[in-house]
Amino acid sequence: MTTPSGRIARAVTALLIVLCAGLGTSDGSLPRRQLKKAVGPSLRPPAGLRVERPRIRRRAPLYAPDRVLVRFRPDVDETYADGLLRSYGFPAVRRIPGIGVYSVRTAAGVSVTETLAMLRRNGDIELARPDYRARLADVPNDPYFLNYQYNLRNRGGILDISPDIQPQTTAGADIKATTAWDVTKGGAETIIAIVDTGVDMTHPELVSKLVSSGHDFANNDDDATDDVWHGTHVAGIAAADTNNAVGIAGVAWNCRILPVKVTDATGDGFYSWIIDGIIWAADHGADVINVSLGGNYPDPFLEDACKYAHDKGAVVVAAAGNDGIALVLYPAAYDAYVLAVAASDYNDEIADFSSFGPEVDVAAPGVWILAPAPQWYVGDGFLPYLFGSGTSMAAPHVAGLAALIKSVKPDLSVDDIMKLIRYTADDINRTAHPGRDDYAGYGRINMTRALAPYILK
Amino acid sequence: MRDGRGGIRGVLASLALGVAIGLAPAQASVAGLKVESLAAGLFYENLSRTVVWKGDTASSKIQASLITARAELGFGKGVVVGLSAGLALTDFKGLTFTSLPVNLQYDAPPLKGFCLGAEAVAPLVKLSEFEISGTGRVVYSFGMSKTWPLEGFAVEGKAAGNSSWVEAALGPRVSYLFFGRVLPYLEVSARWLGAGFEMTETLGDLAGTETKRVRGDFSFSVTLGVDATVTDRVAIKARGGILPFAGGVDSLLSLGVLYKF
Repeated sequence: MTTPSGRIARAVTALLIVLCAGLGTSDGSLPRRQLKKAVGPSLRPPAGLRVERPRIRRRAPLYAPDRVLVRFRPDVDETYADGLLRSYGFPAVRRIPGIGVYSVRTAAGVSVTETLAMLRRNGDIELARPDYRARLADVPNDPYFLNYQYNLRNRGGILDISPDIQPQTTAGADIKATTAWDVTKGGAETIIAIVDTGVDMTHPELVSKLVSSGHDFANNDDDATDDVWHGTHVAGIAAADTNNAVGIAGVAWNCRILPVKVTDATGDGFYSWIIDGIIWAADHGADVINVSLGGNYPDPFLEDACKYAHDKGAVVVAAAGNDGIALVLYPAAYDAYVLAVAASDYNDEIADFSSFGPEVDVAAPGVWILAPAPQWYVGDGFLPYLFGSGTSMAAPHVAGLAALIKSVKPDLSVDDIMKLIRYTADDINRTAHPGRDDYAGYGRINMTRALAPYILK
Repeated sequence: MRDGRGGIRGVLASLALGVAIGLAPAQASVAGLKVESLAAGLFYENLSRTVVWKGDTASSKIQASLITARAELGFGKGVVVGLSAGLALTDFKGLTFTSLPVNLQYDAPPLKGFCLGAEAVAPLVKLSEFEISGTGRVVYSFGMSKTWPLEGFAVEGKAAGNSSWVEAALGPRVSYLFFGRVLPYLEVSARWLGAGFEMTETLGDLAGTETKRVRGDFSFSVTLGVDATVTDRVAIKARGGILPFAGGVDSLLSLGVLYKF
């Protein structure tokens, strides 16, 4: 039996649902205008690019089997150092100028381990290390990857968004995607549900990635076409068609997208639609459910939906919110079942709009993220991409990572995947808030640490 | 693997006994069990085996160095049984654990452990200056364990590994008797290797265990060796061999000195 006051409260709750996180903080029109220049004809034609990549992967030795690198203490004279190394009987000694490091060829029949042990016993030697093998990281040939997708690999320098928006970026302030892609690019069997405004199903970055036309809970039909731009953008960040010489790279190259529309044409929706959407996605094989939207009010039914998906084996990822206040949106705030994602920027600083609270699990880039947008939205003559900002843009990075983990470790439980994402994050704000904190959670996600092997030494 | 360790030891004990006794042919008979000579000494052995751990798509190498004390018992009619015990250093470089929450790749120094072994040689046929014997050998290495801290994560973590392996070899030996005190021989053996490596990973409240196994990796070796009697009391034994496989070759080496009582 529901009391009148209870009914009123529920009605007010329903009416007040504003999917503020879902719409990002940026107005699509601004980047749309700027994109014409930023990603216009000055770019080299994609067809002219050639990417060489190895076809066969062998488990090669981690380091050169016959060479080590050595550095002497600063007070050791160079002539003395040269003589000392030669006195060991190394067949070849080469000094690398500038940093005072020697490349030393090991004696015949003596292993690198033995050589290092011998050198480390010498008090004049500061460091003796194996000469580790390096290799080309997997870099997609999508033309905007190198210059615009700092979120995946940040090489530092200026992010040229428009004449008046050119932030200086910090090298390494990214989610370390390229080395993680050496481990996995995801499998087509792994499905990321985008519970959002729908997806542009004709977009060249997404058309081949869709599991189906999804479901529209606003209009109750099986056509989850995007009426806004938001869901298309979010879907592209998570799993745009990658290495197709077009546009951008997605986090999960090969994973597929299940569009679930839970807003109307204005971009607003109700908890009931989100609840339906989450449950529908879980029932239709979603391994990961991205919810880049939310409301200010807790709701046990929404929590139940998240629990349902969690218990069905789906990792639910949601945006923390863009109000910059101590209030994490729902469903992101359902700590037991949902990963709440804050937004960081190109310098690994937490975005000032990113909402915070104890429910925040991790952060991911969410400032000026380039991703697909519907052609009808950007207009004729413009490329179908835009720069967007918000925790909405941060969340699909985490969803993509969750999908990659799920692809290579299908037996890992949802809880373990959530923990793995948390515990492998980089504590980007450790100076001000060492350890887990309410702003970045455990830190900005680190795909390489989550997916690449940890080397036991 | 922990659970099965006792079982493995039991099997090994039986196997060692089997090698020691079972190989002795009918001609040794019951009288063969009477010990007629005793020698003891020290041996160094090195062996490498390229293996593909179950579930892996790439190969990696198990490389072991053993230092053992050995007792050799002569049972008459040339039947010799050797029993050894000692220390083992086993290198598992390249071994990866991909079913743990965080993948681990082994690039640590060799693991220290213990080893037990048994070896038997029993003459079968003598043809002029040549003698054909049956040989059998089993080595079991165990007690290898180590813990590594996992650094750079948001929470404290560690990885703990323990491993064991067993190798058995069986085959004919052709010895050339012409030189008297120096006995060169050629041995061809079928070799079987079993190994297990259990790795447990703990990262905060995230934990996982993965056991890698090599079950019955078969190979053949060709070995050249020499048993040299230096004095009436002192003998030196040395042998080296290769284990060819598609795409490469593994090796084995053994060197030891024995004092005859």
